[in-house]
Amino acid sequence: MLITQLKQIDEVKALAGAKTVIISCEGCKEVHFPAAEAKELYNDLKGSGTAQKVIRTEYVCSPENLAVQTKKHLPAIEAADTVLVFSCGVGVQSVSEMFDKKPVFAGCDTIPLPGYQGVTPLTVDCDQCGECYLNKTGGICPIALCSKSLVNGQCGGCKDGKCEVDKEMDCAWERIYRRLEKLELLENMKYPAQIRNFAPEA
Amino acid sequence: MEDYTKFKLKKTDELTALLEHKDDLYVISCNKCFKEFEAETEPECAEFCGFLKEQRKNLTGSTQVDFLCNRPMTEKKLETAIPAQAKNVCVISCGLGIQTVAEISKLPVYAASDSVCFEGRHGMALTKRRCDGCGQCYLNLTGGICPIVDCSKSLVNGQCGGSKDFKCEVDKEKDCAWDKIYERLAAQNRLDFLRTGEIQLRDHSKVNFKIINDYVKSVREKRLVGFYGGLHPTESKEFAEHLPLQAFPTPSTVVIPLSQHAGAPAVPLVAVGDAVKVGQKIGDAAGFISATVHSSVSGTVAAIEDRKHPNTGLKTLSIVINSDGKNEVHESVKPVADWTKLSVDEIVELVKEKGIVGMGGAGFPTSVKLKSPKPVDTVLLNGCECEPLLTADHRVMLEYADDIIFGLNVLLKTIGAEKGIIVIEDNKQDAISVLESKVAQIPNIEICVAHVKYPQGAEKMLIKRALGRQVPSGGLPLDVGVVVSNVSTVKAVSDAIQTGMPLVERVLTVTGEKINKPGNYIVKIGTSVKEIVDFCGGTTDADTTLKLGGPMMGFEVTDQNVPVIKATNGIIAIEPEVSEPNPCIRCGRCADVCPMELLPLYYPIYAGAENVDGLKEKAVRDCMECGCCEFICSSKIPLRTSIKYGKKVLAESEAK
Amino acid sequence: MRISELFARGEFVLTAEVGPPKGFNLDHLLHEAEEFLQDVHAINVTDCQSSVMRLSSLATCKALKDKGLNSIFQLTCRDRNRIALQSDLLSAAYFGIDNMLALTGDHTVMGDTKSAKPVFDLDSVSLLHCVKTLEGGFDLAGNELDGDAPKFAKGAVVSPCSDSVDVQLAKMERKIEAGAEYFQTQAVYDSEKFIKFMDRAKQYKVPVQIGVIIPKNAGMANFMNNNIAGVSIPAWVIEELKADKEKTKAGITGIEITARIIKECKDYCQGVHIMALGWEKHVPALLEQAGLK
Repeated sequence: MLITQLKQIDEVKALAGAKTVIISCEGCKEVHFPAAEAKELYNDLKGSGTAQKVIRTEYVCSPENLAVQTKKHLPAIEAADTVLVFSCGVGVQSVSEMFDKKPVFAGCDTIPLPGYQGVTPLTVDCDQCGECYLNKTGGICPIALCSKSLVNGQCGGCKDGKCEVDKEMDCAWERIYRRLEKLELLENMKYPAQIRNFAPEA
Repeated sequence: MEDYTKFKLKKTDELTALLEHKDDLYVISCNKCFKEFEAETEPECAEFCGFLKEQRKNLTGSTQVDFLCNRPMTEKKLETAIPAQAKNVCVISCGLGIQTVAEISKLPVYAASDSVCFEGRHGMALTKRRCDGCGQCYLNLTGGICPIVDCSKSLVNGQCGGSKDFKCEVDKEKDCAWDKIYERLAAQNRLDFLRTGEIQLRDHSKVNFKIINDYVKSVREKRLVGFYGGLHPTESKEFAEHLPLQAFPTPSTVVIPLSQHAGAPAVPLVAVGDAVKVGQKIGDAAGFISATVHSSVSGTVAAIEDRKHPNTGLKTLSIVINSDGKNEVHESVKPVADWTKLSVDEIVELVKEKGIVGMGGAGFPTSVKLKSPKPVDTVLLNGCECEPLLTADHRVMLEYADDIIFGLNVLLKTIGAEKGIIVIEDNKQDAISVLESKVAQIPNIEICVAHVKYPQGAEKMLIKRALGRQVPSGGLPLDVGVVVSNVSTVKAVSDAIQTGMPLVERVLTVTGEKINKPGNYIVKIGTSVKEIVDFCGGTTDADTTLKLGGPMMGFEVTDQNVPVIKATNGIIAIEPEVSEPNPCIRCGRCADVCPMELLPLYYPIYAGAENVDGLKEKAVRDCMECGCCEFICSSKIPLRTSIKYGKKVLAESEAK
Repeated sequence: MRISELFARGEFVLTAEVGPPKGFNLDHLLHEAEEFLQDVHAINVTDCQSSVMRLSSLATCKALKDKGLNSIFQLTCRDRNRIALQSDLLSAAYFGIDNMLALTGDHTVMGDTKSAKPVFDLDSVSLLHCVKTLEGGFDLAGNELDGDAPKFAKGAVVSPCSDSVDVQLAKMERKIEAGAEYFQTQAVYDSEKFIKFMDRAKQYKVPVQIGVIIPKNAGMANFMNNNIAGVSIPAWVIEELKADKEKTKAGITGIEITARIIKECKDYCQGVHIMALGWEKHVPALLEQAGLK
């Protein structure tokens, strides 16, 4: 799951050309899109005369849909010297591929959230390591939920059951231990030392 | 099309070792996501169950679930699914599903699958893996080609020495990202960055627990508050919410359809050439579920003929009246001296006689609701107006608060309910404070403030939100002791008693980014849409979609020569939507937003195949056509069309 | 001694490369270095070359120094994040090693430990920037260093015969911007390509050492042609290697070819970097034939 944050306003303004077309992708907004801040920025850019047009649309990550959504705006895009895209990194790349002769800039930074694209952000996460550890850890993922992705138990940074990285973050290994304890499966933790395999999938 | 299947069964020897000394297994398998929607179920479950049989394990049962990581739905499904004799649960899914089950289940949960390695994320379409969510987008420097995902080493300062024949050292099939970046930038005359741009150092602290955790918390809260799913479309209420009600000038002609409500059309009571007055009954209810209609002007009946219905677009018998501009009131319009002396039946009859129907959109005759065959303890007033743009109910609440409370009291007494609750969304703070102060001294009426979410105004959502009660599948609000009514409807009830005026005019919003002069108007039923649009300065340009009602559930109007009817709460002029459907990719968003907790993705397939069992199994009839699934669909599939067709198929099969 | 000073004096700088063993016995390496590499200005020590785990570059540099030999500490970004890289640079400074060469490094899957996690926290450009920052008395996080700041001759690499020479030149410019003071190139077999490259690179006014690998046989040449990025071997080289197998086996053909390339190119560059790949014993003969001794 990907969510977007606006880049620094000044940074975005510096990206805009004399004739800018803005493509604002709001398709994932049930996840998060900074709609209000973005709108203000669009109005600013329109007010200063740099933004010629704001195309509010959705799911520009899909090249097929992007083509449909931009069809009637092609003359405006053709006439522009800059296309400014407010979307996740996927959307910006779809647009820059479609208009590869034009400078296409990103107005947002993208960060990942736990859970896959289509689903509400989850409290569980999966890094798709290809060698699932969940059987050893009572169904709590040490790769995704331990800040160091440790696979052989708790490090020395755990304090009051919280992670050294953030005091609000539960220590994954604390949780693993407590869950296994509850299930009376602490034996599960007595596995041989694990070394992760980072080789890409053959 | 890329296939984002994210897991595969573990190897046999690993599974054998895993299941040693473990028996009485229950198997849960996820139907996967982000892949072409080919089969309704995926093969791994059967494969694994076969393996268990070979291993002579006792299999206590198995289930295949859509979107296993969707916790609220999975939780419900598993509540009853896992049999008592099961001692271990095996899950075939990616790590998300496994962890979700492990959080819910009291039994030990084991993964029978490995999640497949991937690098980078895709969008909502099955495109390439393109974004890593680094939190510091480099695309502006690199011509829109991502060096984090596309370069094996995620280099951010240019090409390494490993590029050969424009390919990566790691894989000869893979293009060197930096060659592509160079080419793109060269073509755009933007090579400066590559040569002398600032040296880039990645900041790995940009993506951190705090940011992510805060988002996850807030998004989950927003999405699951009050009821499951729903949407937050851009409200855009600012166009009209502050504009006070204005009486719309009396039109020279009104067209009053005899069918403005759910149920049988009314029967005309006048003939061409007859003189009529405001509030005069001109059509009589034709059965239990039907409603009377009245003239909204004084003048002469010019025609009784088929005219286009504003919502359906079909021909419908209508009474056309030329106004004399005098608005003379009919003698039947008389206030009730003391309504508290009326019997229940008298009030029901009065409401029926005054042509009052649900004004929120459905047009269900209100008198029918007042005669409940089941005990009702609560009347809910819907003041949510959860559709974007519309502000009619909002203005009614602000300007007719006393009438609403009066009408609600009438309903409470008539139905015999103990309590009335007015539910208002928190984007209408002014209405909330007006009504809160008005009901402060009334013990049996309360205000319930609900956080904005579409479709909060739908009966079943409203009941769940305000009372936490669940209307059973196929059931009505009455089944849980509730009657739901719209604020404008009770205002009409109040009018019927306090002034004796039947439902001949209503409040509607004319709004949208494409209307020149938005406003909230008190409009006579039968006024032409065209006249209203023209009065409001017309639309900004020809490339406009006009809808009666809100953007989510409104009816598109192609011919403006149609009348406003009792259920028309708005005329909106908006940017036209263009879309071409693509194949479903099981992204799961429809299931994520469906407030009825259905799986809409199956409807196009089952309706297309006229699969009656499938349609029944996926409870197509529970769908209220709120349009959330269609709104969110990443493949732009017109789901409501399939749903309507599916319902028809089901009805026809039952008629046989 | 910093080789940047040699360049500054206008000397034609000779360097040769050694690869540490997979083990901790350095006797052989040190013996060969003392025996055959006395005439070069500095000896490059590779950093787990080709992503194959070996003794560290830093320890080997220190051992060479103890024998009185000048060394160049090669540093890749594959195995260490910025904390470890900076720490190793300070360690090198402590040992008195004052030449360094920054590389991104081959990907982990290219080597013998494919399951390792590739790091690439920094890359060659940001590593050079990092060295420059340390030289300014601060670390990358902006914290001040205790005592004296280290000082290195900062080297980098470039592939003149790459298929993407434009892209390489762009990166070269970035590396200079980041602090590179000299370049060693990927192995060159095509003088014409190199000269053309230098024609474009000379504008940067940063010394470039032509990289050479003595070809051992036609098979090796073909392999490099097909598999090694940035290397392109013309047909005449392969033909010559094929012509007299005995002569080739003895190293004579390879030395002749390499010496010829050096002679053709030396007026266009500021030094030679010899990657002997085990044929250290042929380095003296090569230098002699190329007229560099």
